Amino acid sequence: MTDLALRSEDLRKVYHSKGAPATEALAGVSLEVRRGERVALLGRNGAGKTTFLRIASTLLRPTSGRIQVFGFDVDQTPEKARPYIAVVPQEGKPFFHLTPREQVYTYLRARGLTRENAKDRTEEALGKMGLTEVANRLSITLSGGQRQRVMVATVIATEAPLLFLDEPTIGMDPFARRAVWEAIRSLTRHGSTILLTTHYLDEAEALSHRLYVIERGRVLVTGTADDLKRSVGGTVKVLLPEGASQVDAFRSFGSCIADGDSLTIIVTPERLGEIMEVAVRLKLLATVGPVTLEEAFLRVVGRSIDEN
Amino acid sequence: MRTSEPTTPTRAFRGLGAFLWTEALVQAHESLAMATSMLVQAVLLVFVWILAPSLIGVALVGAILYSTFTMGQRVLNEAAYLRIDHKANDLYLAGPMAPEAYFLGMAGGTLLVYLAPVIVLGILAAVVLNLTLAQGLLIFALAATVWLFSASVGYVFSTFFRDNRAIWAYSSLFFNVFGVLPPVFYPYKLFPAALHPVALLMPPSAAAGLVQAALGVTYLSPAELALAVGGLIVETTTVFLFAIYWARRTVRGS
Repeated sequence: MTDLALRSEDLRKVYHSKGAPATEALAGVSLEVRRGERVALLGRNGAGKTTFLRIASTLLRPTSGRIQVFGFDVDQTPEKARPYIAVVPQEGKPFFHLTPREQVYTYLRARGLTRENAKDRTEEALGKMGLTEVANRLSITLSGGQRQRVMVATVIATEAPLLFLDEPTIGMDPFARRAVWEAIRSLTRHGSTILLTTHYLDEAEALSHRLYVIERGRVLVTGTADDLKRSVGGTVKVLLPEGASQVDAFRSFGSCIADGDSLTIIVTPERLGEIMEVAVRLKLLATVGPVTLEEAFLRVVGRSIDEN
Repeated sequence: MRTSEPTTPTRAFRGLGAFLWTEALVQAHESLAMATSMLVQAVLLVFVWILAPSLIGVALVGAILYSTFTMGQRVLNEAAYLRIDHKANDLYLAGPMAPEAYFLGMAGGTLLVYLAPVIVLGILAAVVLNLTLAQGLLIFALAATVWLFSASVGYVFSTFFRDNRAIWAYSSLFFNVFGVLPPVFYPYKLFPAALHPVALLMPPSAAAGLVQAALGVTYLSPAELALAVGGLIVETTTVFLFAIYWARRTVRGS
């Protein structure tokens, strides 16, 4: 078996709908995911993340380009790729009239697992997702976050070689998100490969070995979260919530990113004192912290990840 | 690597039994829906009992056929609801399960749960009409054929909708018009003669006409018999095979 779990070359997708101009959702995406990797597609809403994931998971045909899962052409022979994959769909919901235990177990059985294997993995997945206490309640009685955990439990229980997770922690509380992160890390330790989409920067940083930043159907940059942060030009950020109008006073210190009224300056620690002096002179409130993916994203894309 | 799932290419009908059971479990929680599935039939039977009691046997057979026909409406609603609201297609079909198993599992699970009231109708019909074994088997075979036809139509139709609200109106219209207006609950000979061929080309009324002929309630000429039998076989086979093709094709959007 090839060492690459997923490979796409110049993948394009154009949506045509009556009475509306054609929309180019993917404009030539090339990427690779090696076996055992956790890779995140990071981008704003509408960037093309879900379209890519749907094509990769055999649910949508590309307009052009090539994409392979474990060496199988996803477009030409999807039936050969499908046994290797499992998907947490965006906005997916479990069957409301099944319990989490029934949901996970019957899904595994439909995928061809033996009764015993399905039963063991069901209990394990429910435990990992913190669902054991509600395992016998109908999903219709669960909260939105709990239902999302059922969806994740359903898919991680497959331990499929390649898992696609489309915004897997949406609607979850911080505790549940961390449980999902740990379960995902555990999956790759056992040999699975993960491709997830997210617009949570902390999630991308905490989970992924590598990430691809996507904007308007194009990959803008790829690398580790640390690579991306280093590319910003410093390790410290100074945030001036009302500083955008005074940007000229700070340009000489380092990279300046204006976002609405606020100004973020990326600097090396050595220049921090000088900046603070200028900020005090201009009577600007300033906070100092380490550079995060948020600054890297803003610099690469030119917009905040939450901006539509 | 711990992954131990079978990674062979998807076989035809793989996952059918498990998904059928899943769907049966889901449907079994809707006990009220099971009861209301008999509402139209019960109302019509009461009317016939009051207005024309001699036709109650014909109406009971019609109720059986109508019940299996409207199971297609349940398949339509369920398939569209699960696809639009739950994204169940994405969950199940981006995996080793066969698309036709998803369609047939859903249809079979619905049948399994909604069969109980139909069996009750069958027992009533057997008692009222004093059915022979051959007549009973004929009703069973025709009801199964009508179910296969309507479940296939229901699944195919479900793929055309993007909004559940639109489905309720269309599905109710389609299944009630084709299940109630033609001679399903009443004798074939009472239907306008000019429209007899139309009735024999519609699976529920064709099946009802054949049962009525077997019971001696209606006379069907050899040409009419051939039209009803041939139409049922050709239409059901065509629609069923198309539904399997369509289930496979619509896994992927374009």
